[in-house]
Amino acid sequence: MLNHIWLALIVIGICTAAGRDIFEVVNNSYGNGIPWEIREGDLMRDEEGASLHFTLRIPAEELQRHFTTEVMAGDVHVPVKFFPQGADNASLVLDVTGESIPERFAIMAEALGSAETLTGQLDRRGDGWRMRFDEVSLVYLRKVTNAAFEIAGVAVQIALGLIGIMALWLGVMRVAEQAGLITHLARLVRPITVRLFPDVPADHPAVGSMIMNIAANMLGLGNAATPFGLKAMEELDKLNPKSGVATDAMVTFLALNTSCVTLIPATAIAVRAAAGSSDPAFIIGTSFLASLTATISAVIISKLLAKVRMFRWERSEAD
Amino acid sequence: MDIFRTIVSVLSAVAIPALMLFFLVYGAFRKVKVYEVAVEGAKEGFEIAVRIIPYLVLMLVSIAIFRASGAMDVFITLVSPLTDLLGIPAEALPMAIMRPLSGSGSLGIMTETMQAYGTDSFIGILVSTLYGSTETTFYVLAVYFGAVGIRNTRHALPTGLLADFIAFLAAVFFVGLVL
Repeated sequence: MLNHIWLALIVIGICTAAGRDIFEVVNNSYGNGIPWEIREGDLMRDEEGASLHFTLRIPAEELQRHFTTEVMAGDVHVPVKFFPQGADNASLVLDVTGESIPERFAIMAEALGSAETLTGQLDRRGDGWRMRFDEVSLVYLRKVTNAAFEIAGVAVQIALGLIGIMALWLGVMRVAEQAGLITHLARLVRPITVRLFPDVPADHPAVGSMIMNIAANMLGLGNAATPFGLKAMEELDKLNPKSGVATDAMVTFLALNTSCVTLIPATAIAVRAAAGSSDPAFIIGTSFLASLTATISAVIISKLLAKVRMFRWERSEAD
Repeated sequence: MDIFRTIVSVLSAVAIPALMLFFLVYGAFRKVKVYEVAVEGAKEGFEIAVRIIPYLVLMLVSIAIFRASGAMDVFITLVSPLTDLLGIPAEALPMAIMRPLSGSGSLGIMTETMQAYGTDSFIGILVSTLYGSTETTFYVLAVYFGAVGIRNTRHALPTGLLADFIAFLAAVFFVGLVL
């Protein structure tokens, strides 16, 4: 299943990117090679004096003539910097970050190497100017390439970032284990865990680690939850007769983990507060109920799907 | 609700130091050579983190490709007739689809959606409830299974995704109930 979905994400991603790029090339939707006409009066100095800051008015028809695949709502005013280069040439740096600026400009800017500005070359023509940008093409395929390379590095950083916190908690956990604490903890929750994980002996260290992982998750202590969880996976894997194949207990544990009840969804509350909510903590109740529903369903689903033919344990082959 | 909040926030502040203190002191009491044993355990941290790398790289790259291509918009157009039938608001669909795929992506979508529709509107509360009530399923599966070298994940992904879907439906239901 994971094989198919993993492949599907990549295939759908690359094909969509290629499809969009072909559509844009066929329709020339960035107006490549079509100069922008700037008439006398379209380029207005922001204030009298030596400042380079101007405002460029681009009429709706002119936008539509270039960005053929989208409907342009009306004239836009773009803040620009104007750099004269002799009498008949100049360059114009467009600030594309504003809210009212068409998104196309921002995409062009990004494709040409800068997220905020887009540089056009001006030639004097009669009373006004003619502006050209560098050609923009295959935007989405380039985006896909950049994203893939960037995230590959990020993934390694995430994994390496776990080392410190993992070492700390696995060290502390080892002490607790040798002192017999993890087994005590496992016995304490025995009535629940024998039903959830029938294949795991009730006083197995895996149970203690799973309980600690879930407790840490409920309290929103993600940094401590991951080491506990990975420790639990290691313990569960010791009970695994088929290396490389997930056991029923592992799947049920991860079902509990991914849908886990969080008592205080701290990040969501913080974002709501920052966005000016009148009651940021309002979602505590709703997310508690939603995740409780999901957790209960997740456990039931994991038990049911384990019996489905294609997922059955007996049918899964070890390495 | 405020008392509940206070209790949980105190608990989450106290939990880590208290746990550390309790584990180590109890260990010493039980004659465990705490430092030596802790160092032994800590060595594993490096191995596990390194073992996760290939799983995490491949998983995150495929998700990044999907996101960068803008395929999500296409996907939303395809599934929206179906979700309309279920009475699910189309404005919350990007969040529902992104949540299991990417933590940072869904954080961005939550922020954008709340800016567009208001933090205290039905949609605003719905997306933040969604963010708060589920985990990044793909990431968790890659890390947890990666740590023990599991490649055949059997029904783990369908279970996680179905649970995410149920969380979404439950969020729509409960937010509708209180508003």
